[in-house]
Amino acid sequence: MAASSMGLCTVVCNINRKITTRYPRIFSLNTCHHVCRKSFGSSTQRCHSQAQIRKKSVPQQLVGVVGLEVHAQIHSNTKLFSGSQVRFSAPPNSLVSFFDASLPGALPVLNRRCVEAAVMTGLALECTINRKSLFDRKHYFYADLPAGYQITQQRLPIAVDGRLRYSHLAGRKQNQVVTKSVRIKQIQLEQDSGKSLHDDSRSQTLIDLNRAGVGLMELVMEPDLCCGEEAAAAVRELQLILQTLGTCQGNMAEGQLRVDANVSVHRPGEPLGVRTEVKNINSARFLARAIDYEIQRQMEVIGSGGTVLNETRAFDYKSGQTFPMRDKEGLQDYRFMPEPNLPPLLLYDSETAPPPQGVDPQQVVLIDAVRKTIPELPAVRRERLVDTFGLLPEHSFTLVNEDGLMDYFVGVASQTRAEPKKVIGWVIKDVLGLLKQQGLNVSQSPVSPRRLAQLLDLLEDGRVSSSAAKLVFLELWKGTGRSPAQIVEEQGLGMMDDSAEIRRICQSVIDSHPEEVRAIRTGNKKVLNKLVGLVQKETKGRADPVRVRAILEEGTS
Amino acid sequence: MLGFTIREISLAFREGRISPSELCRKCLNHIKETRHLNAYITVTEELALKQAEESEGRFLRGAPKGPLDGIPFAVKDNFCTENIETTCASRMLKGYRPPFNATVVQKLLDQGAVLLGKTNLDEFAMGAGSTDSAFGPVRNPWSYSDTYRDQSRAEPDSDWVITGGSSGGSAAAVASLSSFLALGSDTGGSTRNPAALCGIVGLKPTYGLLSRHGLIPLVNSMDVPGILTRSVHDAATVLGVLQGLDVKDSTTIYHPAPHNDLPDDIDIRKVCIGIPKEYHAPGLSRETVSQWSHVADLFERAGATVREVSLPHTQYSIVCYHVLCTAEVASNMARFDGLEYGHRSAVSSSTEALYATTRHEGFNDVVRGRILSGNYFLLKRNYQHYFVKAQQVRRLIADDFAQVFGSGVDVLLTPTTLSDATRYSDFIQEDNHTRSMQEDVFTQPVNIAGLPAVSVPAALSQRGLPISLQLIGRALQDRKLLTVAKWLEQQLAFPQIQLGGLEARGGGRSLGVSQREQTSVA
Amino acid sequence: MASFTLRNLFSRLRNPRPLHRCGVYRSAREDRLSSKQTLTWCRWSHETTSIPHEKQNSHFHNSKVPQTPTWEPVSEDHLPPPTQVPLDLVDKLERLALVDFRNQDAVACLEKAIRFADQLHVVNTEGVEPMDSVLEDRALYLRDDCVVEGGCAEELLQLSKNTVEEYFVAPPGNIPLPQRDERTAMLKDSELKLKF
Repeated sequence: MAASSMGLCTVVCNINRKITTRYPRIFSLNTCHHVCRKSFGSSTQRCHSQAQIRKKSVPQQLVGVVGLEVHAQIHSNTKLFSGSQVRFSAPPNSLVSFFDASLPGALPVLNRRCVEAAVMTGLALECTINRKSLFDRKHYFYADLPAGYQITQQRLPIAVDGRLRYSHLAGRKQNQVVTKSVRIKQIQLEQDSGKSLHDDSRSQTLIDLNRAGVGLMELVMEPDLCCGEEAAAAVRELQLILQTLGTCQGNMAEGQLRVDANVSVHRPGEPLGVRTEVKNINSARFLARAIDYEIQRQMEVIGSGGTVLNETRAFDYKSGQTFPMRDKEGLQDYRFMPEPNLPPLLLYDSETAPPPQGVDPQQVVLIDAVRKTIPELPAVRRERLVDTFGLLPEHSFTLVNEDGLMDYFVGVASQTRAEPKKVIGWVIKDVLGLLKQQGLNVSQSPVSPRRLAQLLDLLEDGRVSSSAAKLVFLELWKGTGRSPAQIVEEQGLGMMDDSAEIRRICQSVIDSHPEEVRAIRTGNKKVLNKLVGLVQKETKGRADPVRVRAILEEGTS
Repeated sequence: MLGFTIREISLAFREGRISPSELCRKCLNHIKETRHLNAYITVTEELALKQAEESEGRFLRGAPKGPLDGIPFAVKDNFCTENIETTCASRMLKGYRPPFNATVVQKLLDQGAVLLGKTNLDEFAMGAGSTDSAFGPVRNPWSYSDTYRDQSRAEPDSDWVITGGSSGGSAAAVASLSSFLALGSDTGGSTRNPAALCGIVGLKPTYGLLSRHGLIPLVNSMDVPGILTRSVHDAATVLGVLQGLDVKDSTTIYHPAPHNDLPDDIDIRKVCIGIPKEYHAPGLSRETVSQWSHVADLFERAGATVREVSLPHTQYSIVCYHVLCTAEVASNMARFDGLEYGHRSAVSSSTEALYATTRHEGFNDVVRGRILSGNYFLLKRNYQHYFVKAQQVRRLIADDFAQVFGSGVDVLLTPTTLSDATRYSDFIQEDNHTRSMQEDVFTQPVNIAGLPAVSVPAALSQRGLPISLQLIGRALQDRKLLTVAKWLEQQLAFPQIQLGGLEARGGGRSLGVSQREQTSVA
Repeated sequence: MASFTLRNLFSRLRNPRPLHRCGVYRSAREDRLSSKQTLTWCRWSHETTSIPHEKQNSHFHNSKVPQTPTWEPVSEDHLPPPTQVPLDLVDKLERLALVDFRNQDAVACLEKAIRFADQLHVVNTEGVEPMDSVLEDRALYLRDDCVVEGGCAEELLQLSKNTVEEYFVAPPGNIPLPQRDERTAMLKDSELKLKF
């Protein structure tokens, strides 16, 4: 996150925290704070005011209000209303049917898989599934919209009134798990548009309709978020959920998940301010930056006495700023109309609303049947990790948050005798740390779970010291294929067992560093670390650092 | 032979009295002779002859595909025909060759029918006269019939009458005897209206019975492919072939097709005929009222129950239709922008400018006017006030019908049009919108309610032009409707058109279908 | 402005006189009509020559068939005041629909269409559920998720008048339409080009 937005967040939060601590029993009317005080851990709000300010005592500060609109491309073989294929890259216009090209006389035919995906997503997000939903046409002209209208669900969408529960790490050490939720207003099925490639040199636009007609789930969220960090965390959780369900692959870079943010600022308790819509954000990282920039920009506008315009702005990731796009707000009127070629979509439930007799089962989507196919969701998975392995919530959060890391962890834990608590340290600090440093993802880790497990076993058995183990790990990271045991053998990193030798070395270090010894004796315990380091250097890390420290302590007392 | 019905021709094929190729050639020649009617936009001569040859082969082998094998047919130019120009009579689609066949066209081709060509219509099916086409107006063949010419003192070129619309070309093709069957479309009466004015049978099936895949839409919630033939029996045969669920059209339903033909002997005593009193609309001609009464008499005397009934919201049906129609038109026409197909203007300054000029150049005034009205009604500020209100009125109209049919009425009897065919020179005195609102009065309520209806020619007017009546049935009771229509047709014995000098079937014949069929069966 | 009610519509049937194609019809006769509620409808007449007696159809009568029109004329007082479409709305509609009004006649046509539609408000629709289509009781067909279409780029591209390699080509987007005067000039220009 950009430093400025971090700073802003902190400023706002600090103020709010002060208010919270001063007025702990006053409830906020603002919606941006559904804190779930479960076993997941307590937290003070990171980012939002908990209290209604008594006007006389504390001046009100502007806070950000963010509502997200997410377009998630449905993971299906074919498009929403036609039988042409859904694929990310293909020769231009090769995945286009007559209907997608809007040839007159071609009609929409609904894909059952898309319906099931929307129902599953709605259920996972605690929505009410509308047993009857309708399709509408939304009219506007654009080169990538061949029919001159998009088929969507404006009047009666497939799912409403849900909740996305998400968490993020907070606190100075990023080790507190804060759980929040944002309300989902509705989920609707709609068509994606084609793609336009601007060829400015020849003053023309090239149109590729491969993406035209691909099924989208539009998730409209209530403005319950307050800053970029929350938005990024919410989107991340949504991504995980969709990927787990298999209803959307969630790759933002490939456009499978697109987020637009509606941003405004106001003083808590007062009506919401004028909002702007920020578009053109294609990664979670940029989402946070864009939102925070926009909040700050609006605050500055208001602070200098101006008014915020209701407009659409695009985010420019190079400069980190938002710029107004062409404003069509006043002109635009989508002239919604019911889609006459699609009768109402009816969903059933085997218990409460069974389908009529004799209906082809292929023509029926049963809500309860879909519910049964929902796999373990990330939130549940995190709890399960905590329960099964006794992990700390923040560790469980990190494991689930990183693609593949949980499986990696489980892989190691199941193959080693070391306790999960020990395993987790290695996985998160060492493995993940190096992956991040080198910009790799978990699947690209040169150290496999089996190798790490072997190393941890060596540690368990006392065959290698903890510091030597680090060296072995680094060697493993080079990916030469040698096992930990082999590396220990070859580099002579085995645990030094010879107590006499250790004592001798310790003593020699003590003798050769009288200054430091004096410092320790006068109470500066930190200097002991230096001595430990020197011993370790001498022993090539092979001595057990705990023992070394004990001996040195004894020797310098 | 050109004046035969499908049923008769099919028998003639089987008996070897004429071959499909011979008949096809006769029809193609006749099309050339009746060129002045301007009924066809495209004539697919080569293709027709090829198909006729194939059909002939099948008959020779004794393996015809069915009752439509070898039958020459025409298709309104708003149905997609694979690789054959489909224009909707508009500059917007001049030169457009769809890469697929409409389902109903495909079904006819699969049955071995022979495609003669694409017929003329009002541009994009908007109109009630077939007078607003980029290819010029269609002339009613009866303008050149003996009965009309005997009345008129003027030159044929100055007092010719319209076919009605919007499927005028299809009606003219069948009425002028160059085609035995034609497909039209019916949104507010566009099949029944020209059928009535051209003296042929025009069937609008129940909404959802026939697939609209490939029918370039006007109003998706009301459009139905229409069937134009010379006899009710033919219409029933074609309906049986065309009906059926189509997975490519989500508005189709499954309804089992009948296994056998309509009976020839019909007991009308079990039938209850309703006469909706609101269907005497202002402007209804004396002669049509007279025919309406005459037919009511026929039913009564034959033992059927005839009742006066009421459809109280009839008067507002046309207003409701007007709002819903223009709104859907505005939406359906949004796809014509010149990018993927169709006419494209030379402007390249911006996409919006390209769209605006393309649409300006491609659409006629009628289409553009309806698009603008429709957009007005769909504006956020107007949506509730006009569009939703019209939808509410729609339900009232549908309920009116449901109530009447629920009270024991089987079929309603009404006029189809206000009068016989108007002279073109008179018709164009009013604008398209006005004419549509006038002429569609009896036909569009049926589309609003999605019911089946058929226009049956009754008699000739004083001017020697056809007057027809409409029968409306219950949803999905198309067969029953056609049975009653067939009975009526047998009673009325409407005369065949006499186009002086052309090879109609023998001279001095003013007897109708039933007589002909009796002799041919013998 | 004369209203465009059903009554007017059908009064014009009585008198098929040459009229401006989309204009407003005013006559003394019509003014007389508009002042009264009771109307008698004259028979529809063509310019026909007199017909020999034996060729006339006999005039049939049936008690169930109404012999006179049964419609209730809609009086002006029942309708809301006529709508006038202001210039900015004209401009907005042209931009939204990308179809132009061409001239003032077209605006008058729209106002007429609106007036016609105003008659809907005479009907009492309280508590009536709007009807999207007659299909409201039918189930929506659900298709299997199998690839059965697409892969026809060439077929589609050859329908278009301007393509580059495998792309459809459009002019640059995100450029608003010019102001009304400029637009009119642009369209006139394109019309001329079409003719030649």
